[in-house]
Amino acid sequence: MSGTGIGARVLRKEDFRFITGKGQYTDDVNRYGQAHAVFLRSPHAHAEIRSIKLDAARAMPGVVDIFTGDDLAADKIGGLICGWMIHSKDGSPMKAGAHPALAQGKVRYVGDHVAVVIAETQAQARDAIEKIEVDYKVLSPVVAMADAVKKGAPVIHDVASDNTVYNWSLGDEAGTQAAFAKAAHVTKLDIVNNRLVPNPMEPRAAVGDYDSGTGGFTLYTTSQNPHVARLVLSAFIGIAPEHKLRVIAPDVGGGFGSKIFIYAEETVCVWAAKKVGRPVKWVADRTEAFLSDAHGRDHVTHAEMALDASGKILGLRVKTQANLGAYLSTFSSCVPTYLYAPLLSGQYDIPAIYVEVDGIYTNTAPVDAYRGAGRPEATFVIERMVEVAARELKQDPAAFRRKNFVRSFPHQTPVIMCYDAGDYDAAMTKALEMSDYKNIGARKAASAKKGLLRGIGFSAYIEACGIAPSAAVGSLGAGVGLWESAEVRVNPVGTVEILTGSHSHGQGHETTFAQLVSERLGIPIDNVAIVHGDTDKVQMGMGTYGSRSGAVGMSAISKALDKIEAKAKKVAGFVLEASPDDIEFKDGKFSVRGTDKEIDFGSVALQAYIAHKFNGQELEPGLKESAFWDPTNFTFPAGVHICELEIDPATGVTRIDRWTAVDDFGNVINPMIVEGQVHGGIAQGVGQALLEGAVYDASGQLVTASYMDYSMPRAGDLPSYDVGMTQTACPSNPLGIKGCGEAGAIAAPPAVMNAITDAIGHEGIAMPATPLAVWRAVQKTAPRAAAE
Amino acid sequence: MAMTMTGEVALPANRETVWAKLNDPAVLKACIPGCETLDKTGETGFSAVVKLKIGPVSATFKGSVELSDLDPPNGYRISGQGEGGVAGFAKGGATVRLLPPAEGQEGCILTYDVEANVGGKIAQLGARLIDGVAKKMADQFFNNFAEAVKAG
Amino acid sequence: MASVTLTVNGKSVTRDVDPRTLLVEFLREQLRMTGTHVGCDTTQCGCCTVHVNGEAMKSCTLLAVAVNGATITTIEGLAKGEDLHPMQAAFREHHGLQCGFCTPGMIMSAVDMVRRKGTDLDDKTIREELEGNICRCTGYHNIVKAIHYGAEAMGKAGTAAE
Repeated sequence: MSGTGIGARVLRKEDFRFITGKGQYTDDVNRYGQAHAVFLRSPHAHAEIRSIKLDAARAMPGVVDIFTGDDLAADKIGGLICGWMIHSKDGSPMKAGAHPALAQGKVRYVGDHVAVVIAETQAQARDAIEKIEVDYKVLSPVVAMADAVKKGAPVIHDVASDNTVYNWSLGDEAGTQAAFAKAAHVTKLDIVNNRLVPNPMEPRAAVGDYDSGTGGFTLYTTSQNPHVARLVLSAFIGIAPEHKLRVIAPDVGGGFGSKIFIYAEETVCVWAAKKVGRPVKWVADRTEAFLSDAHGRDHVTHAEMALDASGKILGLRVKTQANLGAYLSTFSSCVPTYLYAPLLSGQYDIPAIYVEVDGIYTNTAPVDAYRGAGRPEATFVIERMVEVAARELKQDPAAFRRKNFVRSFPHQTPVIMCYDAGDYDAAMTKALEMSDYKNIGARKAASAKKGLLRGIGFSAYIEACGIAPSAAVGSLGAGVGLWESAEVRVNPVGTVEILTGSHSHGQGHETTFAQLVSERLGIPIDNVAIVHGDTDKVQMGMGTYGSRSGAVGMSAISKALDKIEAKAKKVAGFVLEASPDDIEFKDGKFSVRGTDKEIDFGSVALQAYIAHKFNGQELEPGLKESAFWDPTNFTFPAGVHICELEIDPATGVTRIDRWTAVDDFGNVINPMIVEGQVHGGIAQGVGQALLEGAVYDASGQLVTASYMDYSMPRAGDLPSYDVGMTQTACPSNPLGIKGCGEAGAIAAPPAVMNAITDAIGHEGIAMPATPLAVWRAVQKTAPRAAAE
Repeated sequence: MAMTMTGEVALPANRETVWAKLNDPAVLKACIPGCETLDKTGETGFSAVVKLKIGPVSATFKGSVELSDLDPPNGYRISGQGEGGVAGFAKGGATVRLLPPAEGQEGCILTYDVEANVGGKIAQLGARLIDGVAKKMADQFFNNFAEAVKAG
Repeated sequence: MASVTLTVNGKSVTRDVDPRTLLVEFLREQLRMTGTHVGCDTTQCGCCTVHVNGEAMKSCTLLAVAVNGATITTIEGLAKGEDLHPMQAAFREHHGLQCGFCTPGMIMSAVDMVRRKGTDLDDKTIREELEGNICRCTGYHNIVKAIHYGAEAMGKAGTAAE
């Protein structure tokens, strides 16, 4: 195949519209006659609503209508849902408090939705919202998890009197106990995984529209999974049945998990469009995004690792409190449980693991999946533990890891996962070479001469992606199947449209998916169009998250292409007057084996549609096939990242000097795009480690609610990255793809923190390691650094 | 988010005179920065409308002011709370003490101990400005008050 | 209402608008030029960067009336017909964008950077100069590369001085 097939660095097909300002994001959608919605949000973290006075607001210029929770309830519009049932270790189901789209009687976090004003212009809606008078009875808030679970703490949801959603566990408690009993050494660590705000650059937005002629609703929304949004809005919230609800997610400006979920605002916009008889548009400002986009991470963990005298890991015991915020967001319950604990074995052969996780309600924004979702938290625990254990045993961190690596596959861990393929040693070897690890001593000495502290940190991460076999996730509590679907439409002239349930919001599917088709059908990439993000066009889909679009979405396309090829061979057989079994398909040409008779793909497509060479009883005309692909296993991307940095002890400023990433993503469709995914992931991970942190004060006010206070990674904060790859093909999908979207965000935080703690000589620093935090930690620097 | 501040100011009148002014709604209204109305609702309570600007957020707060721990002429506690709609809310109070003048001086000394709390948009966008604004408002109030005392 | 006249991408336009209308709202809502994006409303992220009388400015905190009479260039006005501006081409060539939302502002800032700093830009300069533009997707690696080569190409094409 030419230079546009699998493995080629094809420039992106979608770029032209983005670089010329012609992208079509939800805020760029304007419907005739649309009105604008603005939400009144709670300024209190926890309060009863005694009354809401709307008269003055209704009298404001341009106001079309105002709605509160009572109006939604009157229309029997259901609350927002959490789609993954988790059971506590005593067998009881998780305690999910009601989550109305507009508050009913009580607000539970600053930013909670109290009322919506719909007006002719956004400015008029903003003016009117000033005039709404809400009489709040302010209640004591619970902000910290430690306070939430204290006896007598204020109760956020009546269904959870101890503010606990679940007490969940995984693994063999007794077996782990036994492993610790025979340990020669136990490493213990308290770990905080800081709270983050996802911050895709495009704020969330929605435009709801209702056609009274057909009774059909249309919702344009910033979604990573429009079909899931339609399913939830139909089946659970009750907006309209699925065939009367079209959800369109046009160009979406980044998601990172935060646009998976079904939120109050789009629910209200699509419902209100019918109420006011006009399209209703809402666009978040950045502070609204900070307040009401689901946040990420926020774990407090105590971990213990049992080791024998030689440094072999015998067991791991982990106890985690996970902050789930004031309500359970769409997939929040599974993030600190099934997306977290099963990855705690890391790349290591650990015979016994036991994990307990408590999900806690607090008066803060809901917390849900953010790039990596559970796996960064797990990787942070295991990779910090491994590093600290190596230090305590005075072993080289790389050698210590190698000693404990899983070396034969398949490998069944004690925590659900069965790793199917990998070569962890190969990635480590390559990373050590690329990072020039053998000369780190000299570089440290050179830094010391300048009065700087140099540190090096490893992260040998593993993730479970390609989410996931439907039956498997169903048995773990998922409310949906996690297959993907595809349809391949070949046009009579031989051009191809791929309709996919995956959704691209920066990942470049319009290019990579087209590369697969170009490779398989032997047609120019420009003859392929990728259609996604519209429930009226695409038959079905589960969307894009969990690094699944390549492994699951493309596998569905591949399966549909198999059917296309089989059908096209039949058509070619009629045209070439040969048995389909004798037809070969190669480089875009069908030929009769052992002859010079051949016909190209485009001509076969035409023959399929004109149907002159066969009749309808022998073969259906047309060339269009669809497929659903349900994965047989998770995929297990893994790799080694090495961060090397310098700290100025006088100022606490950390400068990352070099970043080495070696990842095994299985087979790669477009290395340019994959490297871009790695870069972006690392930046988010470094952001978590050095800069970012959502801070609520003791009264539950979010004091990091704009880019003036929440430190986003900027170009000057980050290095260039040295990215390499190793490859072991993934055996659980036809393309051998493992997925690459989250790797950087998963790998990076422990690499940074291992490097910082290496530099300062002790473990007493938490993320984000801001200059102030580092400077303080340096003041406590004790013997180890001095001794080196 | 919460903030606290303390201060003191020397006043050219005796404690009884100052005490009377501290309890005079017209004086309080003139001294509270941005106060548009201050109406008595009871023996020690007032309803108030105060216009505030904190960084990018400006809002009209409607709320109540309450005097408590009255100890004439030694001092009281003045507290208030207001809802500023979309801008959020503010609440706070000050313990005001009137002390005799220093040896050989006239008048009296007023000390204050203020704590304030804000929430909503003010906290979200104005967090870094809030301490300065609160300090400035307290200074303004007590300077205004000193002027009022001077004016008799 | 206030009357605002601007020259946008070479065309003179006049609209009566609410005096509080921001430049970005004028462009997006009055002219339906939606290439200029709003990412943060506080002059931090740079998604809304346009050129006002030849200089990069953030249109999300600039009142339209305040720039009455100005000449504005937006991302839609950068290419000459079908021919991409060298900086646009460089962003594509070096994979300097993913979701595309920050991209118009990035490109407008980059072009202005070249005007101020010349066509031979090292990584350190580019990273410092990108202080006012946030990207959440790319980790900046390829944006820095794209600007380096885009600047070089602007020098060769003679577009740097424009």
